[in-house]
Amino acid sequence: MTLLSVEELAVAYRTSQGTVPAVRGATFTLDPGETLGIAGESGCGKSTIANAMMRLLPDGTAVSGRILLDGEDILTMKPGRLRAVRWSELAIVFQGALHALNPVRRVGWQIGEAIELHERAISAAAVRARIASLLERVGLPAERADDYPHQLSGGQRQRVLIAMALACNPSVLIADEPTTALDVMVQAQVLELLQELRFAHDLSMIFITHDLSLLTYVCERIAVMYAGRIVEEGPSHEVFESPAHPYTAALAAAFPTIGDRASRMAPSGLAGDPPDPMDLPSGCAFAPRCPLVEDRCRTFDVQLTDAGDARRAACIHVPAATGPR
Amino acid sequence: MNPLLSVEDVHVTFTRQGIVARAVDGVSLDVAAGEVVALVGESGCGKTTLARTIMGLERPAAGIVNFDGHAIDRKRLRAYRRKVQLVFQDPTGALNPRHTIYEAVAEGHRVHRLAGDEVAAVAGALSRCGLRPPERFFTRYPHEVSGGQRQRVVIAGAMVLKPQLLIADEPVASLDASVRGEILKLLRDLVDGQGLGLLVITHDLGLAWNIADRIAVMYLGRIVEIGPCEQILERPQHPYTKALLSVVPESKQLEQQILVGETPDPRNIPRGCRFHPRCPLVQHGEAERAGILNECRTQDVALAPTAGNHQVACHAQVRR
Repeated sequence: MTLLSVEELAVAYRTSQGTVPAVRGATFTLDPGETLGIAGESGCGKSTIANAMMRLLPDGTAVSGRILLDGEDILTMKPGRLRAVRWSELAIVFQGALHALNPVRRVGWQIGEAIELHERAISAAAVRARIASLLERVGLPAERADDYPHQLSGGQRQRVLIAMALACNPSVLIADEPTTALDVMVQAQVLELLQELRFAHDLSMIFITHDLSLLTYVCERIAVMYAGRIVEEGPSHEVFESPAHPYTAALAAAFPTIGDRASRMAPSGLAGDPPDPMDLPSGCAFAPRCPLVEDRCRTFDVQLTDAGDARRAACIHVPAATGPR
Repeated sequence: MNPLLSVEDVHVTFTRQGIVARAVDGVSLDVAAGEVVALVGESGCGKTTLARTIMGLERPAAGIVNFDGHAIDRKRLRAYRRKVQLVFQDPTGALNPRHTIYEAVAEGHRVHRLAGDEVAAVAGALSRCGLRPPERFFTRYPHEVSGGQRQRVVIAGAMVLKPQLLIADEPVASLDASVRGEILKLLRDLVDGQGLGLLVITHDLGLAWNIADRIAVMYLGRIVEIGPCEQILERPQHPYTKALLSVVPESKQLEQQILVGETPDPRNIPRGCRFHPRCPLVQHGEAERAGILNECRTQDVALAPTAGNHQVACHAQVRR
């Protein structure tokens, strides 16, 4: 059974320079208890997907497609229903814990705010008890509730944000670069915490990051995005170890495996840069940087197709891909 | 052969309200011409303070920074600041948005009143950094080029001064994954092709594996392990290095060793071995079984050679 189903989601921002297509038709599903990783570089649309799921996009943004949570479309929910669903069904942990917290409020107050908004009848004492238990669940002493954000370290602030996201027992947790600003050791601590919470609370998770190697750690499935589209999707280890799309292969090689002789003194990258979303190349958007490019790639816009073993890829080299031979 | 840069027992302290923070607490480090040394550690370990001290931006409380066989002092500072160039983490912040790329690269040339044709020097630096043809970039502004190209402009701004040593502080941390490899390749090529020395400051052990000859691991103001890159990354000896390696997704090690807590405050460095409060050897009783627990808790430990050029500061290694 599918818990969350995103169908043909397209998002275009309106700016003074014109319309910027940030997501150009993304389709994926999330099963109960599953963790899906979304990988890609800045500007590929991965955070836009997260914001669209939370309905946090700026006014005037053109959104089409459907985001079905338990069969109900988030994109057409009335404000009252949306408020009820946000935080209690679907919660988000943002990147950059310093900016996501209010600097002039104690962190306990900030966690309590979400609880009080969803449970109007709750007593002050019950809220305090819930805050204390939430902080303990994320590995912080309950006294930290009286601290201001600046009194906490980066890792502790990220834990507060996770506590806040769990405040109303959501079924889906979206984590948008939750460890990007953290040191490796603190990152490992936060990832371990997210794994524990996931099993303890039977959470489904969408984990968004630019670091593909990190996703193989935490996710069952990975979707790789490029220029607003999913270009590859499948079980995480298979995608990482035998990528079907040349962009995935390049991303996987960008972070070398320590001990792998082939990458010693041989950093691997792609020539060129991700395309400007307002000026996308014709055909496959990856063609200008693709090491396997052929003439037909520059004219034929290849779609995500079945690549066997529960995998999908959008590349003309995938056997099942239709297009000019 | 004399090293290009030689840092000898440098201490840097900051005092606020009478409390002394020992940010760099006795560090010795060499960088030779044509060599890439990666200085690795978590935030707050003192790696950026050490880099600033090498640049002459902080004055050491004790110790000497030697360059090309001479201690840097007031008289030599101006020439030194041409020969040693810094590349920052965020190219967007490092470039003036109102200056064209030509002006950004030419600025150093003007400031140091270098002889020779400025236009030729700027064009040469840009093309050496992979921005070709250079004339196409002259009149463009930083926001008109991509993040990877901006970092190339910053590196070109350093290269126009024909430096002997580059210090790069997290040179690819703010860049996209697919661009990262190209910038690392450029840095390694500059070292190999021009005989530069490169000190790269990073928390990224995969970066070190990609380009470094040697690695120095820093913890709370000290180097705790230093040696050839392969040895450090494949056969780490210090428990801190082992733990760091076990948690990076790039390493193959299966058993994760997640340390509790965060790097302690440099205003309050633990007695004994500075790592002992977080050390897995101490926590899991191995130090006690080896009969060194008392040393770990009470005696400071200095770097000592293990094999070849590999040095480790750990009581468990001293005893072995």
